[in-house]
Amino acid sequence: MKTGLTTTALAALLCLAGAAHADVKIGLNVPLTGFAAADGKSALEGAKLAVAQANAAGGIKGEKIELVVYDDQASPKEAAPIATKLVEKDKVVVAVSGSYSASTRAAAPIFQAAKVPYVVAYSIHPDVTATGDYMFRASTMGEVQGRAGAKLIGEVLNKKKVALVTLKNDFGQALAAGFKEGAPKFGIKITGEYEYGMSDRQFGPMISSLKADAPEAIYASGYFFTAGPLVSQLRAAGITVPVIGQEGYDSEKFIEIAGPAAEGVYVTTSLDRDSASPVTKAYLADFKKAVGSGSDMVAASTYSATFIAIEAMKKAGTANREAIRNAIAGGTFETPVGKLTFNDLHEVNKDVQVQIVKDKAFRRHSVISDPVYLAAPTKASLKK
Amino acid sequence: MLFVELIAQGLVQGSIYALIALGLTLVYGLLRILHVAHAALFTLGGYMGVLVTNQSGSLGLAIVAAMAVAGIGGVLMYRFCYEPILHQPPFVPLIASIGLFIASEEIYRLVFGAYGLSYANPPLQGQVAIGALSFKQAELAVMVGGALVIGVLALLQSRTRLGIACQATVTDPQMAESFGINLKTVRYVNFFVGSALAGAAGVMVALLNNLVEPTMGSVPSYKALAIIVLGGLGSVPGTLLAALTLGVVESFGTIYLGKLLDRNAIAFAFLILVLMVRPQGLFARK
Repeated sequence: MKTGLTTTALAALLCLAGAAHADVKIGLNVPLTGFAAADGKSALEGAKLAVAQANAAGGIKGEKIELVVYDDQASPKEAAPIATKLVEKDKVVVAVSGSYSASTRAAAPIFQAAKVPYVVAYSIHPDVTATGDYMFRASTMGEVQGRAGAKLIGEVLNKKKVALVTLKNDFGQALAAGFKEGAPKFGIKITGEYEYGMSDRQFGPMISSLKADAPEAIYASGYFFTAGPLVSQLRAAGITVPVIGQEGYDSEKFIEIAGPAAEGVYVTTSLDRDSASPVTKAYLADFKKAVGSGSDMVAASTYSATFIAIEAMKKAGTANREAIRNAIAGGTFETPVGKLTFNDLHEVNKDVQVQIVKDKAFRRHSVISDPVYLAAPTKASLKK
Repeated sequence: MLFVELIAQGLVQGSIYALIALGLTLVYGLLRILHVAHAALFTLGGYMGVLVTNQSGSLGLAIVAAMAVAGIGGVLMYRFCYEPILHQPPFVPLIASIGLFIASEEIYRLVFGAYGLSYANPPLQGQVAIGALSFKQAELAVMVGGALVIGVLALLQSRTRLGIACQATVTDPQMAESFGINLKTVRYVNFFVGSALAGAAGVMVALLNNLVEPTMGSVPSYKALAIIVLGGLGSVPGTLLAALTLGVVESFGTIYLGKLLDRNAIAFAFLILVLMVRPQGLFARK
C-alpha cells in the first residue's frame, strides 16, 4: 500500500518535472491543402522562420517554442474543430491565424470563449476583431486597403474612370466596399462593376465587356492564381491601361504566371521589398536563405503575427493568457510589415505600401500615408 | 461587336468543354459509368504539357506526350479501378471514381507542388485578327484543334473496323462479342481515346491561362457530367452541341447575370431549364 502511494507520488513528481520543461506551444491554422494551399505554405514558412529564429536565440526564457500546425483547408468547417483542438487538446496559450477570412472567422469565437489570444496575420474581414478583445489583427483591413486604392488611383495616378473587378469572397468584397467608399473623394467614376468566382481562370467575356467601357484604370481584386491569368488576358486583349491590385497579387508566382503582362502592375500591400527598415531587410534576407525563394506578403504577415505572439510571451510569461493578451494590446512591435501597435479594437494603423512590378520583381513605387483617411476602425466606430 | 466577341469567347470555352465531355460520354455510352475521375486526366494532360514544353521547347511534342500519358492513365484507371467492379451496382464505380479523383488532386499537389506550374515561354500568345475580331493564337488553336480532333474521331468511328466495333459494343455488347469483337480491346481503346482528348484539353487550358494547378479539374469534373446529361447521355453529337451551347450561355450569362449568379450557377441553371423542357437532353440515344 505504502509503496503504491510512493510510486504514484514519484510518478506525479516526475510528470510535473517533465511538464516544467515542456515546449511552449503556439497554435497555427493554415490552409495546407485545397485551393489556398499555396498561400498556406507561404504562411507556414513565415511562422516557422519566426519560431526558428526565436529558438536559436534561446527560446522564451530558456523554453523552446513549438508550433502546433493544423491544416484548415481555408474552410470554416475545418477551422472550428481545429480551434477547439488547439484549445482543449494542445492547450496552446496563444494562437496565430495564417489562413483566409472565412476560416479565421469561424475559429475566432472559439479562441475568444477560451480566452486564448489569437493574432491574425492577413485575413481582413471586419468580423475577426469584432469577435472580442482576445482577437488581434496584424494587417490592414480590407476596407482600409480599398480606400488606399482609391487614393492611389484618383490622386497619385490621377485616373478618374475606373473599372472595378471583384473576387467574390470576403477579401474581394471588403476591398470593393472600401474602394467604393473612397472613390467619390478623389473624383473617381466607376465605369462598370464585374465580379468573378474563386475558380474562374477564363475572363474572356468580362474582358470584352470591360474593353467596351473604356476605363482609364482597372482596380481588380484577386489572388495570384486568378490575377495572373486575368492580367495576362487583359494585356492579350489589347487593354493597356494601368491595373491596380492588392496584397492578393503579392507573390512571385503572380509575376511568373502573368509573364511580361505583369510589368507595370501596381499592388497595394504590406511588404516593401525596397524597404529601408533594417527589420524588413533582415527578414527578406533570412527568408530567402531559409526557404530558397523570396518572401511574399502572406509569409511576411504570418511571420509578423508569430513574432508578436513570441515577443508578448517574452514580456508576460507563458502561463497567463490574460497577461499575454495585455502584452500584445499594449506593445509596440517592429515587424517586417511595419511598426505595429494596436488600437482599442486591436486593429493596426499603418501606411499602405504601393509596389510596382518592374523587371520581373516587386519594387517600391510609393507609400500611401494618411493616418486620418487610413485609420482603422475603433470600438467607437463599431457601435455605429 | 460585343455580341460577336461574346459568341466567339463562348465557342472557345465550349470547345474545351467538348474535348473533356466527349471522353466522358464515350465511357458512359460504353459502360454506364459516371467517370468523375476523367477530370484528373485533364489535369494530368495540363501538367504534362507544361513540363514537356518547358523541357523541350516544343509544343507539338508536348501535346503528343500529354495525350499519350493521359490516354495510358485512363486505361490504367479502367484496368485497376473499374474492371474489377463492373458487375456492382452503378453507385460503386461512381464512388470509386470520386475517390480516385480526390486522391489524384492531392497526388498532383504533392508531386508538382501547391503553387502550380506555368510555361517558361508561353507559346501561341500572339494576336490574330479575323475581320473586326482579335483572337489570341491559343484561342484559335483551341477551336481549330478541337474541331479537328472531333472530326477525326467521328471519321474513325464510322469508317474503321475498330470504330464500328466500338459502336457495336455500345449498342449490344453480347451480340458484338459473338461476332468476335474483343470487348476488352474496345474498352481499352475507348478509355484511351476519351482520356487522350481530356489530356489535350488540359494542354489547351494551360495555354490560355498559363497556369496548371492541382485543383484545375474540380469544376470540369462535375460540369462535364452536366454537359453529357444536357446532351443526352451517351450521344456524341448531343454532347458536342451541349458543350458549345453551354460555353456561349456562360459567356453571355457572366456579363448580363454576373451580379445575380456565379458562372457555374448560370451553367447549372441553364441545365435545369433545358431538362425541365426536355428531360432526355438535347439528343437522346435511341
